[in-house]
Amino acid sequence: MIQAVVMTVPDEIGCDECFDKLNEFAEMELAGKSPEKALPLVADHLKKCGECRQEYEALLAALEELQG
Amino acid sequence: MLHWFKRRRQKPKSYRTNEEWVMQLSAPPEDEAVAELRLILVRGLRSSLSVYVDRDLEHFVEDIAQDALLRILGKLDTFKGESSFASWAMKIAVRQGLSELRRKKWKDISLEDLAGMGDDRNRNDIRSEYMTSSSAEPDQMTHESMIMKKVMEMIENELSEKQKMAINALMIEGMPITVVADRMEVSRNTLYKLVHDARVKLKKKMMEAGMDPDEMLREL
Repeated sequence: MIQAVVMTVPDEIGCDECFDKLNEFAEMELAGKSPEKALPLVADHLKKCGECRQEYEALLAALEELQG
Repeated sequence: MLHWFKRRRQKPKSYRTNEEWVMQLSAPPEDEAVAELRLILVRGLRSSLSVYVDRDLEHFVEDIAQDALLRILGKLDTFKGESSFASWAMKIAVRQGLSELRRKKWKDISLEDLAGMGDDRNRNDIRSEYMTSSSAEPDQMTHESMIMKKVMEMIENELSEKQKMAINALMIEGMPITVVADRMEVSRNTLYKLVHDARVKLKKKMMEAGMDPDEMLREL
């Protein structure tokens, strides 16, 4: 919990804004680009929100399967 | 039999462009496009959710794909083409599946259960072991437990009842944000913002109290 407080910054985005960009973020990741540079607020949210991170990892797994 | 199995496991290949997907799924949706999207969702969900579902994966995935399809068709006008249509649809299905799993896992546990209704703990108190961490005198306490005690006091004194309830459920009891949002009858996004405001306030109070958050993190 202390860690969550310490890592807090004022301009964090919420789960909805993260979700809006998740498909774009995942495709960049799979294309070997750097989504954390292009979409730093999404990357920051994924570090802080366990559920969005879980959904992102599941999305990556699904897209990898579809590409495979 | 083997032939049937191979055919059933064939990878769904989509040659539709984003524009074609949107056009063919717009009301009234074309059966062929719906069937193809359903195959895509089932395949992706099967792969991504297999680690979370220990039995009857196929049935679960079929149900989620069906629910997700309805959701996708209802949200078609929000697709802006920033990725492939399949990626956009897949994220909706994945969230649907994981949210369902979280709700199932926590379905019988209320926020009141977490806050200790039914025992002698106060409803909105942060768990008592954090507040009164030991019977030892302060100078005998470990540095860590003293920091924790200070933070718990800040939570108790500075945050609203809703913020306390949310932090207790999310950060101390580990209830998923999807489930806590349902219980508090707010959206997941609203709940995240509520907790973010609480974290901002706590960080400010820590600094005002001369506690260096970075140093505390190293010590913990």
